[in-house]
Amino acid sequence: MADYDVVVVGAGNAGMTASAAMAKKGLKVLLLEKHNIPGGCGTSFCRGRFEFEVALHQLSGMGAPENPGPLRMMLGELGVIDDLEFVEIPELFRVVMPGTIDVRFETDKAQVIAELQSHFPKEKEGIEKFFDLVFAFSTQMLSVFYFNDPDATREKYPILYEYGFKTCEEVLDSFFSDPLLKAVVSVYWGYLGLTPNRLSFAYLAILYFSFIEFKAYHLKGGSQAMSNAIVNKFLSYGGEVRLNCGAAKIEVGDSGVTAVLTEHGERISTRYVLSNASPVATYLQLLDPEHVPDQVHREMRGRSLSMSGFAMYMGLDCEHGELGIQDSTSFVMSNTEIGDKAYDKMRQRHVEDDLMVLSCYNIANPEASPKGTSQLNLVTLKFGEPWLRLPPTDYFREKYRSADNMLRTLEKVYPGIRDRIEEVEVATPLTHMRYLGHPAGSIYGFEQQMKDSLFFQPGGQSPIKGLYFASGWSGDPGFQPTLEAGKAAAKSILKELGA
Amino acid sequence: MSKGVFMDFDGYQEVADAVEVSRKQGVNFTANRDLADQYIKRLHPPRMRLRVTDIFEETASTKTLRFVAEDPPLPPFQAGQYIALAVEVDGVRTSRPYSMASPPNQLGFYDITVRRVEDGVVSNFLLDRVKRGDVLESSGPVGEFYHNPIFHKQTMVCIAGGCGITPFMSMIREILECGLDRTVHLFYGNKDLDDVIFHETFVWLSERFENFHYYPVIEDGPDGYDGCRGFITGKLVKEMLGDLEDKTYYLCGPRAMYDFCLPELEGLGIPKSRLRREAYGTPADITKDAGWPEGVKRNDTVTVKVKGKGEIPARAGEPLLVALEKAGLLVPALCRSGECSMCRVKLLAGRVFQPPGVLLRKSDRQFGYIHSCAAYPLEELEISL
Repeated sequence: MADYDVVVVGAGNAGMTASAAMAKKGLKVLLLEKHNIPGGCGTSFCRGRFEFEVALHQLSGMGAPENPGPLRMMLGELGVIDDLEFVEIPELFRVVMPGTIDVRFETDKAQVIAELQSHFPKEKEGIEKFFDLVFAFSTQMLSVFYFNDPDATREKYPILYEYGFKTCEEVLDSFFSDPLLKAVVSVYWGYLGLTPNRLSFAYLAILYFSFIEFKAYHLKGGSQAMSNAIVNKFLSYGGEVRLNCGAAKIEVGDSGVTAVLTEHGERISTRYVLSNASPVATYLQLLDPEHVPDQVHREMRGRSLSMSGFAMYMGLDCEHGELGIQDSTSFVMSNTEIGDKAYDKMRQRHVEDDLMVLSCYNIANPEASPKGTSQLNLVTLKFGEPWLRLPPTDYFREKYRSADNMLRTLEKVYPGIRDRIEEVEVATPLTHMRYLGHPAGSIYGFEQQMKDSLFFQPGGQSPIKGLYFASGWSGDPGFQPTLEAGKAAAKSILKELGA
Repeated sequence: MSKGVFMDFDGYQEVADAVEVSRKQGVNFTANRDLADQYIKRLHPPRMRLRVTDIFEETASTKTLRFVAEDPPLPPFQAGQYIALAVEVDGVRTSRPYSMASPPNQLGFYDITVRRVEDGVVSNFLLDRVKRGDVLESSGPVGEFYHNPIFHKQTMVCIAGGCGITPFMSMIREILECGLDRTVHLFYGNKDLDDVIFHETFVWLSERFENFHYYPVIEDGPDGYDGCRGFITGKLVKEMLGDLEDKTYYLCGPRAMYDFCLPELEGLGIPKSRLRREAYGTPADITKDAGWPEGVKRNDTVTVKVKGKGEIPARAGEPLLVALEKAGLLVPALCRSGECSMCRVKLLAGRVFQPPGVLLRKSDRQFGYIHSCAAYPLEELEISL
């Protein structure tokens, strides 16, 4: 008799929802987490008067309570929805390139089109057609892959068949001529994690569609509140959590998984392990090499790691409005690069002219920081590898130098912001490596380019019997996909166990 | 699921070919598998073993312990940061945060400076029982009390009390030794002139460096003492500095000093954004806190049920973390001031007293988590680690 039916390695989004879903069905589940708090990316930290949200910018898939989206339904099934207070984010985003353009989008297709048309009157027709395509493509994508139409054909879904494997840039080029317009329309790449010349159009389309149609949400207490709520339910379903207890090894015998060894040397027998860690760490660090089949190495070798992030968490001693911040999300562009020039830039440690995303949490949630203050997050995408080539003694200097550069760019849009900083914390790609254990600090798992995204993701299965995966590495990254991936993995294991 | 539908999409073959090509020419993850872990360990080792190589007497009540790494090198740190030094005193394993007094521009050793505290289990152990050659365990360098070049001013006003001088010693040495473009005004409060740590060094440095100004403030200055007397008041700070603008103020000292100095500085109109405060432990007697409930005595004993670990005794006037340590239950701890959240545990039943200033996440409060280093059991408790 095994100690546990399932041991879940890592209390990130997917690890938590999987654990809760399996415990709810009566399985004996142990959730291991190497940190002192569950959540993975879904966490927060306190500095002075502020509690900083670490990773959640805009939550997709919620929908309104009267018209719930898939994530709201899933959180309802797990029993956590009543423990949480979600807030709708009122606007879509602002894009600003100092001295060049400044546009504000609402969560309204007609407004987005009209706003763009007023800035780019020559491309009026293309703008309208592009957004019609975005909506038509997304609707067809949902019919086939979410509602699982069994009779999908090219005749029935011509747009999906034509655009399914196109990059953003290919589609932008076929509708627009002004490089500025292309950069503005595809600026969401700063969220999605890959430059538009490599990023699948599908991701851009779905993001616009879902945030306009179903709105984006945040929640009071931030993502840590969601993590705490899920773990709380898991415990109430009889699950066990061990914090400060990382997995050191997954033992495999002739008939598959046999046990997990903890970092403290304890052996926990089980026949099922769900790894919320990256497959790279799982296969290369948790499993003995003789148990990893060649096909795993071959498959993994073909994958690219996504970029990491450089982030600043800022607590201001004034309300956001005082500095002219009116939007939950602002993209700050310094140029119109959407191709390999921008991609190569991310391979350099130096921050300058990079696309940046500024999030202000107080607009949707006035309780995001104490009265008379505001909480901001500024992030740009950078590959982690160059940081590993930095002499450790230069680390602090380089971290502050890059942060200073970022802030200088932001000051062009919001003058005086530096003088209002009361607390600031900087997270580099090394910070992401340290806390997530992801190779190269990748925050999107494997890269979002065509060969590693959509239909070409590794998925939750493994050739080792009893070993499953659920995370932003097995499927799409981001809060909604990873929370859902956990639920899906739980379903596979429950099915296998006949529970 | 409409499996395989996508294989008929335009462009499928190109992507499938790209997958094959990259499988042949892609990344060798195996070769790099421990690279990041090793690098992170170099910057943020979770544990270090430190050997005492020297012990210096600073004052009658104070010694400096010099440590070198048993497994070198020592990690870099930011002047003002601390390590949580682990000790085992009479069979009880515990830890205390100590700021490095040595500057980060040399990493051959770390100095920590320890002052005797009445009933101070760890300080007395370090002063009386640790000797050259002993090996102690510690955390890596941590802490949020340092000059942050992103928004701190180039002129630092450092306000120290007693043993709270140590992070400033590190900062001052770094600035002066490296010739950094920063100015320091140090106000240093002590009870007696003969117990001022590093006094001669500061006098000497202030005579030689124009960017270092030293203002010792002695509560009971001896006869003939012509320096500042009493406490570090707003009036004194204003008088010495003249212009209060364009400066960042840093405070490190005993709790009583914060209670006195913070209102004084706020009275001068110094905004929170220019006021940094180091965590400085929990009060010696928590029952004197304004919010402490009537009827609960410092030595009241309660039973704490620790899920899966049995029952342990605890005292109302002692942080829960200490009761856990005395029972041999190890909870990771760093700041021991209620701020860093390392010692977070879940309160399943019972009431605890949490002094103001504990940095608890909103949702931790909602779901019953507490920071055990700054939570005092008021009645029988049930917790899980």
